[in-house]
Amino acid sequence: MQQVDQMRKGTTTLAILKLLADADQAMHGYQIIQALEQRSRGEFLFKEGLIYPRLHQMEQAGLLSSHWEGTPGTRQRKIYAITEAGRQALAAELAQWRTFSQGMDRLLGLAG
Amino acid sequence: MTVDDVLQQVQAGLHLEAETEHEVLEELRGHLEEAVAAGMARGLTSEAALSQAAAALGIEQTAIELQATHAGWGALEGIAAAALPVIFALVLRWFIFAPDGTAAAWRELPVRPALAVIAAVVLLVPLIRFPRRRYALGLWLIFWALSLLTAIWPTTRW
Repeated sequence: MQQVDQMRKGTTTLAILKLLADADQAMHGYQIIQALEQRSRGEFLFKEGLIYPRLHQMEQAGLLSSHWEGTPGTRQRKIYAITEAGRQALAAELAQWRTFSQGMDRLLGLAG
Repeated sequence: MTVDDVLQQVQAGLHLEAETEHEVLEELRGHLEEAVAAGMARGLTSEAALSQAAAALGIEQTAIELQATHAGWGALEGIAAAALPVIFALVLRWFIFAPDGTAAAWRELPVRPALAVIAAVVLLVPLIRFPRRRYALGLWLIFWALSLLTAIWPTTRW
């Protein structure tokens, strides 16, 4: 169960970094959740409330930056953007992911 | 049930610094309002949409994870904020009094680059490290208060 949790956390971080890198614009939490669900076409269900702690952890780690959008008195939203450190982490994570994925394909005899 | 009711349930599981708690809850408020608007656009009533949004959020688990994410950082930040001005004031004092232990060097201090360097470092380090600027400014003021105390009572042993 712990392994599943670790895998979920790792893949959520990777998915958020890739989404923000591809979007090339800052997004707020609700937009991120919607975009992730749309990308996964319902294959992955992200627990909505767990995305926010994950975003905060990524911000603390310097992978994301954030600021509040909107003026006082109107609806304010905290929006997130990927940082340079986040882009570097994304490149490293993607390389690891490809290595793992290709290794599993070979192990299972799925490689063409 | 209203958005505030849902936020109160989340807040019941949080024991964070007031400003952090306020920011976290405001972010969740934005999320719930967006989710309710989307639910109503799909034809749900506002109550049903909010009920669905709260269930999708997972109030209890969200509060546990948010508490775990922010609690440790606050403690570390507090320790660093308390220790840094003392450390830097001691460094400044070391520059002033070393090596002969007299306070005469105070008069030369304004023209020494060491003063400007330490004053800049003691402000810049917290500004870069701490998410809130007022912490850095408060820390800077404490540093100067401690440094002035050593100037007023230069014979005080630290």
